[in-house]
Amino acid sequence: MRYRIALIALAGVAAWFLPYGLDSYAIHVVNVILIFAILAVGLGLCMGVGGQVNLAQVAFFGVGAYATAILTTRGGLGFWVAALLAVLATVAIGLVVGTPALRVQSHYLGIVTLGLALAFTNWVTNAELSGGAEGIPGIPVPTLPGIDLSSEYLYYYLELIVFAVSLGFGLFVVRTGLGRRMRAMRDDALAASALGAEVPMLRMVAFLLASVYGGLGGVLYAGLIRYVAPESFGIANMFLLLGMVIIGGRQSLIGCVVGAVGLSLVRETLVDHPTVAQIGYGAVVVLVVVFAPTGLAGLPARVRASPARRRGRAGSAAQLQPFHPYEVDPAPAAGGEPVLEVDHVSKQFRGLKALDDVSLTVPEGEIRGIVGPNGSGKTTLFNVISGLYRPTRGRVRFRGRDLTGRAPYRLARAGMSRTFQNLRLFGDLTVEENLLVALDRSGTSQSWRYLLRPLSVLRRDRDLHRRARAVLERYGLAEFAALAPKALPYGIQRRVEIARAVAAEPSLLLLDEPAAGLNGEEVRQLGEIVRSIRDSGRTVIIIEHNMGLVMSLCERVTVLAGGRVIAEGTPAEVAVAPAVIEAYLGDSMNVDDLPVADSPVAPPVADSSVGGFPVGDLPEEAAK
Amino acid sequence: MQVTLQTIIGGVSLGAVYALVALGFSLVYRTMGLVNFAHGNVVTVGAYLASTFYLSTRLPFALAMIVAIGVTGLIGLVIERVLRPLENRDFDLMLIGTIGFGIVLDALIIMIWGATGRAVPSPVPSPPIDLFGLRIRTYDLVVLAIAAVATVLLVLFLSRTKQGAAMQAVAMDHEAATAVGIHVGRSNATAFMIGAGLAALAGGLVGPLLYVSPALGGALGIKGFAAAILGGFGSIPGAIVGGLAIGILDSFTAGHFQGYSELVTFLVFTVIIMIRPTGVFGERTVNRA
Amino acid sequence: MTGTLIVERLTVHYGGVSAVRDLSFEVAAGDAVGVIGANGAGKTSTLKAVMGLIPRKVGVLRFGDVDLSGVSARDMVRHGIGYVPEGRHIFAGLPVEKNLLLGAYARKWNAETRTTLDEVYELFPVLAEMRDRLAGALSGGQQQMLAIGRALMSRPQLLLLDEPSMGLSPKLVGDILAVLLRLRAEGLSLLLVEQNAKLTFEATSSCLVVENGEVAMTGASERLRHDPRVRRIYLGL
Repeated sequence: MRYRIALIALAGVAAWFLPYGLDSYAIHVVNVILIFAILAVGLGLCMGVGGQVNLAQVAFFGVGAYATAILTTRGGLGFWVAALLAVLATVAIGLVVGTPALRVQSHYLGIVTLGLALAFTNWVTNAELSGGAEGIPGIPVPTLPGIDLSSEYLYYYLELIVFAVSLGFGLFVVRTGLGRRMRAMRDDALAASALGAEVPMLRMVAFLLASVYGGLGGVLYAGLIRYVAPESFGIANMFLLLGMVIIGGRQSLIGCVVGAVGLSLVRETLVDHPTVAQIGYGAVVVLVVVFAPTGLAGLPARVRASPARRRGRAGSAAQLQPFHPYEVDPAPAAGGEPVLEVDHVSKQFRGLKALDDVSLTVPEGEIRGIVGPNGSGKTTLFNVISGLYRPTRGRVRFRGRDLTGRAPYRLARAGMSRTFQNLRLFGDLTVEENLLVALDRSGTSQSWRYLLRPLSVLRRDRDLHRRARAVLERYGLAEFAALAPKALPYGIQRRVEIARAVAAEPSLLLLDEPAAGLNGEEVRQLGEIVRSIRDSGRTVIIIEHNMGLVMSLCERVTVLAGGRVIAEGTPAEVAVAPAVIEAYLGDSMNVDDLPVADSPVAPPVADSSVGGFPVGDLPEEAAK
Repeated sequence: MQVTLQTIIGGVSLGAVYALVALGFSLVYRTMGLVNFAHGNVVTVGAYLASTFYLSTRLPFALAMIVAIGVTGLIGLVIERVLRPLENRDFDLMLIGTIGFGIVLDALIIMIWGATGRAVPSPVPSPPIDLFGLRIRTYDLVVLAIAAVATVLLVLFLSRTKQGAAMQAVAMDHEAATAVGIHVGRSNATAFMIGAGLAALAGGLVGPLLYVSPALGGALGIKGFAAAILGGFGSIPGAIVGGLAIGILDSFTAGHFQGYSELVTFLVFTVIIMIRPTGVFGERTVNRA
Repeated sequence: MTGTLIVERLTVHYGGVSAVRDLSFEVAAGDAVGVIGANGAGKTSTLKAVMGLIPRKVGVLRFGDVDLSGVSARDMVRHGIGYVPEGRHIFAGLPVEKNLLLGAYARKWNAETRTTLDEVYELFPVLAEMRDRLAGALSGGQQQMLAIGRALMSRPQLLLLDEPSMGLSPKLVGDILAVLLRLRAEGLSLLLVEQNAKLTFEATSSCLVVENGEVAMTGASERLRHDPRVRRIYLGL
């Protein structure tokens, strides 16, 4: 930490004294580089941190510059008023460009943003207001009392301050709640949403940030060059900017800055051979993508990781500690008000019925088991309850409120939390950060605090870290806090996911096959954990194939087959229900007419019988 | 009415070219799940190659075109080979990788052929046909016919040949394809080669319609991609419908909005994609937990 | 020219975690061997590693006289090994018959292919009825049959099957069993990875029980089916 502060101070001092060693051309180059660095940080925030492909960053840059130019030369406004309005205009445009992200992602978003960027250049080259192909000359020099900003040396300090503040703000965002949620969304939007991250709003925030940085870059550019023309904001510069971010390392803002500086310098040295420079950086982009996908910023970590990998798995020294049970909630446990009411829910996929008129009521404080043969609709039911699917018919009421078809994040914020059959941990976040995403209940709409009350954001974050450590301790995961989840054994990943789901403080916890892939001892611990979670005052619904666990853990069991509820009762009751035995034996139910595409990739039922409950047993005649 | 029809006819030939570009996008996307952002630049290379052979070596137009297709096919092979380690892995990285290739190709084009463009005379000099008062350029008909033949050949290749079936199998499940003995890399390389060939065909055909310049492919590529998405990404009929739709849309906006046609085209495209992200023939994909 | 499949010291690493450790087994010509165990025990990894679909380390991997340790996954079929993947993995967008023909990709498509196709249709009459349907439109049981039929199209000597009972009703599991028994009777060697222990015991002569990537027990299927330890390992209790 002290080392880092010293480094920052050193960089600051070096930046402050830099102009003393530069001639007037060099300082101009440096000023342009700083503008590109600001743009790159904005693009990094949007693409690298938020995962939103944005090929319109150069258009944001253009909007900022053109708005300043138009407002000063045509509108007669002072530079600073124009600058403020220009940034606002860029934000407005940014939000418009970002709107498609609510519907489409990845390459679709790439083409849409690129198309809108082209639309922008098309407009400025044609409109009279923007001076057509000639552009707008004669932008007034920005004035500051006592400082002559027409001197590029002094302008440098203005840019330096803006740059430092924007980089610092970017880093602040990345390292605290908002950035964490954005990174979680980038890794797995679905899981992030199920943990309460408002995905649509976060996507807009990504574009908002990109446009603010684009606007700032544009204003500074207008003030520096004092002339704007369409070619500065064309596709070529967009790709240059993209190259900077990719080569530097899109997930690291410092990397973006390094990329911007490095590529600008290369371009400057090859200024007489622009095509050679272009071939060079195009080739480097390809090479980086293939050989070092994390960019220059990722190299130190890769270098450090490779000897560690050769020596054996990093973190193999870390040990799983025992789970510390929760305090028992003295409130009456089972039999309270219904937490969840599923009311005649049907779900169809392309004409195939995955759920057919399913109703069930789960009272507060219960552990409810949901079992059934494969493809019987169990996971589909979870997806409907947690808002990933909208039911074709029927209602879902949660704690008395009808929340049918609400977005997953709204349900999560209302107190519902879930795990996934195939584990959906955020791969690029540490174990602790995974928990932090769940713990952080502050809404994205609270993000204004980042601007107006940064200290309160920091305080909150420190508090979250403290709570995350408590959760890690409780689940015996403390030694894995700083590790990437993918590097952990499967059983521990399962535990992390449960810890993450409970960290969201749900009143209803949905567990989708939590015992899959666990060994005997791990299954025993799981039973203990789930029981303790319930005793702390939460309701649990569990889909499970391990019948031993279901029988020992659940108060009541709902049996699904062919998308229908065929039995419900205590484990002992359903085990002897004729309909259940029939369903499992396949005598009359035709389970295989279910949609295959939708059938969850679940392991088949263990072939044995537990507690007099025949599971997946073959009929004798089948052996012929 | 007359004017509307004339506008549509004006857009159809360019639409057929967009459809060819879209077919290339879709084919590569279908087989390897990759969006080739360098596709537009390959179109430019194809246009320059075809026009160079046609204008300077006096090759017949058809022969010049075939040579151009061959050369760009090789470029396709190179791109596929370099990006092969990323296949079926990181989608966004591959996308950026192809952008990198696009940047390189763009620079190479300027290096070889210079920054200024060239006009290519029509290889079919006969005068326009007059049909019920509508003017139809003969070259437009040639473009339509060639595009149609290329599409039919592509469909036959995919549906009737072993290699074509294998290529589709790779797209659907590359692991199962491997298990039945298909060389996935080679199949993808073939797809890429055909995609690049289609790009060259589009570029060669569009030469006499538009002005051949380094910026040609950028515009064609983006519109071709938009066409592919509009029709439903990965779908062959979708590519054709999307291509014609964008061509006609282009023709209308050029008539009504003059200089702002590109602006209007992309705004309309954005709105359509937001209303129906899967395009006309696209499959709805469901998020799965 | 059928031979014995010999696998010695097979190890698979997945992202730093070893999924399979030092697994050794043999499948004699015409024999049927089962690999059973709970979900996540490493069964699928074993099969994929034998096929070469995932990175592996292996001491010996031979089939008859052929050393397979350096053979790529796509060439396994050319050495007489057919593979039925977990979760079926049919080519959903292609018609049933195309799926089957692609099973014979590694061979020339000729009159012999036609004969093999007819044999497969004879084994799975329902596929003949559906030959022009898109494979994705088939039910789960039919897709499983298609996956097996596709593997048979290469005329393998050894068939690797990964969880053919997955997601099927008991009745259809019975159908699958009947097919496996018939293939065995025709002299095909089988390596069956299954979670459904009962099916496996019926279909095979000997079994490996794997737990956490290691062999926990081996023995004759007939003996294992009555062994209470299997149930314990299996249910993870």
